[in-house]
Amino acid sequence: MSDATYQKFVKRWEEVTDIPPQALGPFTGIYKQITKRLKVMPWPWFVAASIGFVLALYVLIGSTITILTSLLQGGF
Amino acid sequence: MLVVDAVAFGRTVAGLIIRPYETYRRIIKHGKVGELVFIAAAMVLYFSLASLVKVASFRPFLLTQQFTLLLWASVSGALLSVGCIYVTSRLLRARTTFATVLIAWSYTLIPTILWFLTTSLLYVILPPPRTTSALGITFSLLFLIFSATLLWWKITLCYLTLRFSLKLNLAKSVLVAVLCAPVLAWWAVNMYRWGVFKVPFL
Repeated sequence: MSDATYQKFVKRWEEVTDIPPQALGPFTGIYKQITKRLKVMPWPWFVAASIGFVLALYVLIGSTITILTSLLQGGF
Repeated sequence: MLVVDAVAFGRTVAGLIIRPYETYRRIIKHGKVGELVFIAAAMVLYFSLASLVKVASFRPFLLTQQFTLLLWASVSGALLSVGCIYVTSRLLRARTTFATVLIAWSYTLIPTILWFLTTSLLYVILPPPRTTSALGITFSLLFLIFSATLLWWKITLCYLTLRFSLKLNLAKSVLVAVLCAPVLAWWAVNMYRWGVFKVPFL
């Protein structure tokens, strides 16, 4: 391994080991699955989760969501 | 110097959109307080616009008063958040500095500024209240999807702030958030009572 590549590897290794790995017992796998999708270009997941959440809210409270929107719109 | 910071800030914002995880790692390692000037500038720009929309007339005294109120309220919120995270992290014996938490937390204000800016512009273009017509419901659905998307982004950036600046595991990060939540809730309630922010600017 050339010096430059080795130095790059060492630098990357130090970066990765700078914070302790997450261990959540039986939930570690789920955590890794979720964070894997959020590390690079998370927007499709954000939008999909938002659509799911808002549609569920619409099913739950119906046209009352317009009141929620009005409140939020005046909330700045 | 300002140009270098501007380029670094631009790269960081693009990184927060495309690769938030790696970007936060870089912010913690190489972030400079100078980059915060651009976040402050974005806030000043937004508060100028919000003052115009809220006052709804060109009265310099009222506009300045509203602008100052919004600016100080948001600065107090940011400093309270950073201070609270820093103090809590010290209690949990995390190795960090106030400046590191400040830089990391300041970048979480980007989704907040974006949401407030869009909402105030929409307030001018399509003022509330929304009706229960098909158009009203469609707009409501789209607005809520947009808001929720920015909220997920904000939550992700807040989590990355705790994860990278404090170097804590998930359980301790959640503990920091739980300990800070009552203080920030108290701030948000007071801002609501005083009529400064109905939605907390955090």
